[in-house]
Amino acid sequence: LIYSKPARNERTIINRALDRWGAFEYFKDKHFVVGKYDRGKKAFVFLVNEKLEQVASDLADPYSVGLAIGELGKKQFIPSIAGADLFARHGKRNEFYIIVSEKGEKLVLYGRDIMGDSITEASDNLAENELVIVLSRASDAIALGRTRFSGRLLFQKGKVTVSTITDAGYYLREEGQP
Amino acid sequence: LTLLFPRTAQSIDLSAEYGYDEWLVGRFIQYVPDIRDFLAKMEKAPVRYIRVNTLKTSIKDLAIRLQSKGFEFKSTSIPEVLAVKKASISLGATSEYLLGHYYIQDLSSCIAVEALDIKPNQMVLDMAAAPGGKTTFMAQKMQNSGIIIAMESNGRRARSMSFNLARCGVYNTCILKTNAVQAADKLEIKFDRVLLDAPCSCEGVIARDPTRKRSHKPEDVDYCSKIQDNMIESAINHVRPGGILVYSTCSFAPEENEMVVDRILKDYSSVSVEPIPYGINGLVKFGDLSFADEMIDTRRLYPHLHDTTGFFIARLRVN
Repeated sequence: LIYSKPARNERTIINRALDRWGAFEYFKDKHFVVGKYDRGKKAFVFLVNEKLEQVASDLADPYSVGLAIGELGKKQFIPSIAGADLFARHGKRNEFYIIVSEKGEKLVLYGRDIMGDSITEASDNLAENELVIVLSRASDAIALGRTRFSGRLLFQKGKVTVSTITDAGYYLREEGQP
Repeated sequence: LTLLFPRTAQSIDLSAEYGYDEWLVGRFIQYVPDIRDFLAKMEKAPVRYIRVNTLKTSIKDLAIRLQSKGFEFKSTSIPEVLAVKKASISLGATSEYLLGHYYIQDLSSCIAVEALDIKPNQMVLDMAAAPGGKTTFMAQKMQNSGIIIAMESNGRRARSMSFNLARCGVYNTCILKTNAVQAADKLEIKFDRVLLDAPCSCEGVIARDPTRKRSHKPEDVDYCSKIQDNMIESAINHVRPGGILVYSTCSFAPEENEMVVDRILKDYSSVSVEPIPYGINGLVKFGDLSFADEMIDTRRLYPHLHDTTGFFIARLRVN
């Protein structure tokens, strides 16, 4: 990864995502670096503090810098589970969230998709193919998902209504992998 | 290098009774207080501890959540660290663990971080950092301010550390996948605090891995001691004047502990040992070897005395 400060268009995409999850106010004074790999085709956004931002570019070939909060595409920012956690913790939590039951939480933490039966609450007016942060009953961000249905159809029983993109169990499942 | 002692009736009997190679028990007899209690304690499962990650939750909130799931805890000498009295399920299987609300970590490891006396905004070097337990505790003490440079040469362990840092919400840390001695020598930064939790022969965790009673050999101590000598010398050169180096191992062997620190004190007149309020005094004598009087201020932690894994900690001030 090669780290640098976000370019203007990259910062715009990041800000749009922060705004989407109501976390812009909290993050507006925070510092980010963008780590690029695969000849700049892929990029991750890392939350850093001001001191680390200053030092990051001087260090030879760091393995990682700060906290990876999401992947940056050409038009979209997709939060990592660490990013989702920060957004849920510091955001307004009024849009693009769903809450799942205890049973749903256990399944999500194994990386399973989410059945409509498991969803107890959802933000108003969610559309199909929308990125959502999945919260537990205790309001912890346990996953990032993508809706397969819109509105009330998210609650339909016996069907997967939200695909799990990443979840908090990921760290444990992947930790020992080569 | 590793000191071996003549066989005695006591060393032969105890090694047979507890299943150790005789040479190891022969050495323990020389410096471990209450040797029978020690060997008996090593037969028991060690006390388990969790360290609350205050970057994500509070001690009170976590305790309430885990108590509602059937866990019971006891407080320890470090407020963030709780001893587990009862666990209804595996400590690594709760959603709170996956969410980084706590880290499963022995009290001794947390004491090593306490000894660093870390403050927010400092520059910290962690020379053998994986899997990141002490690094995440340091980040928590710094409230994600300042900078931690965490080094780990093994790619798999560096990856594992990056997951642990992410799980715990750490964003003041840079991981360098590199040999700590070579990389540190290239770094032009001086640090307020340096932690060298050195690779060691792991005698202190025999209770967790009883195969070490027989697989552990004197050559292991020799091998580790040489690595530790190189690492501590590199570490000391990266402490800014007035800064602190904490040297620790999870080994009982004086060759990996007092002897390593003693050599540094002889070579660097600017370095002194500072006491910390945990454990018992380090050794000033071992067999026919004598160490600097200051070594009394280094600390040893024993399972039968402190309910931790075996540990050695030296806090060195560079003046």
